[in-house]
Amino acid sequence: MNSGGSISGGSLPLAFLPEGAKATVSDIQGEKSIVGHLADMGFTPSARIMILKSCPPGAMLVWVKEARIALGRGMAMQILVNEIEEL
Amino acid sequence: MSTKTKDTGEQITAALIGNPNVGKTEIFNRLTGLSQRVGNFPGVTVEKKGGRFIHQGQVVDVVDLPGTYSLTAKALDELVARDFIVEEKPNVVVDIVDGTSLERNLYLTFLLMELDANLVIALNRWDLVKARKINVDLDRLSELLGAPIVATVATTGEGLEDLKSSIIKVAHDQKKSKAILDYGNDVEAGIKSISAVLNEKPDLLKRYPPRWLAIKLIERDERVLEKANSMFSGLQMAKILEVIGYE
Repeated sequence: MNSGGSISGGSLPLAFLPEGAKATVSDIQGEKSIVGHLADMGFTPSARIMILKSCPPGAMLVWVKEARIALGRGMAMQILVNEIEEL
Repeated sequence: MSTKTKDTGEQITAALIGNPNVGKTEIFNRLTGLSQRVGNFPGVTVEKKGGRFIHQGQVVDVVDLPGTYSLTAKALDELVARDFIVEEKPNVVVDIVDGTSLERNLYLTFLLMELDANLVIALNRWDLVKARKINVDLDRLSELLGAPIVATVATTGEGLEDLKSSIIKVAHDQKKSKAILDYGNDVEAGIKSISAVLNEKPDLLKRYPPRWLAIKLIERDERVLEKANSMFSGLQMAKILEVIGYE
């Protein structure tokens, strides 16, 4: 889960997705405590997410595991995702 | 605190816990009628509501804990909920889960099982579960989790009388939840090594669930590490750190 830093093929930070975009979580980068906290919130490997609201450069509202979670842009940069067409 | 009323048939304390937005407060209000009041946990600003109900002649004090996804020592609301369960040892912990999102909600359930809480699970939004044709085998789930499950609809009050009966039954039942989550060979070996050290402090194990302590040490939970540091000798801590790693 806690990989070194390079972004693997096709993955991009969740923060870059526009409203309405759907994706699956591929990796979470950063300190162990942040990775653990995001996992507690439902951001686990291959979890499906959807961007409900995005207010660059501010926070975003994300649908994950049947709940809406608000994320700061910084945290959203640490979650790597692969975009998908359908949830 | 455990002297309060374990099996005397006097007062029972039941703590309500659950993820945010599962209908927890609605269930609290349904259980307690108009008797709820708002209070504060000592020393922190996270609100706790207290109320009570009487069912089958039994008085039950109900405490509404903050809604949380997890029980780490890092977030104040999570710590408040966890400290209440660990230190105050309520007779029953009512875990309110949203039946339409079990994957998310059962995570907290597992954390509560590890805390050795006397659990009753209220599977809320049962009307939506049925409307969405989600198939939940309540008997099987109850068996797997080692706790009674009551299907509820907080908005209509459906299942609330059954929930009250279950709370009282579990409070008088000394049987603890037996189901445990197996973390696989590597982690289980670590739990075993740490447990061997923990066994050298029997009074600690009386206050806290042994397996929970071992898991929290492996997770490097700040509070539990602090406690261990204050209670164990250098040699004992060295044995623990050998398993969890120095940082």
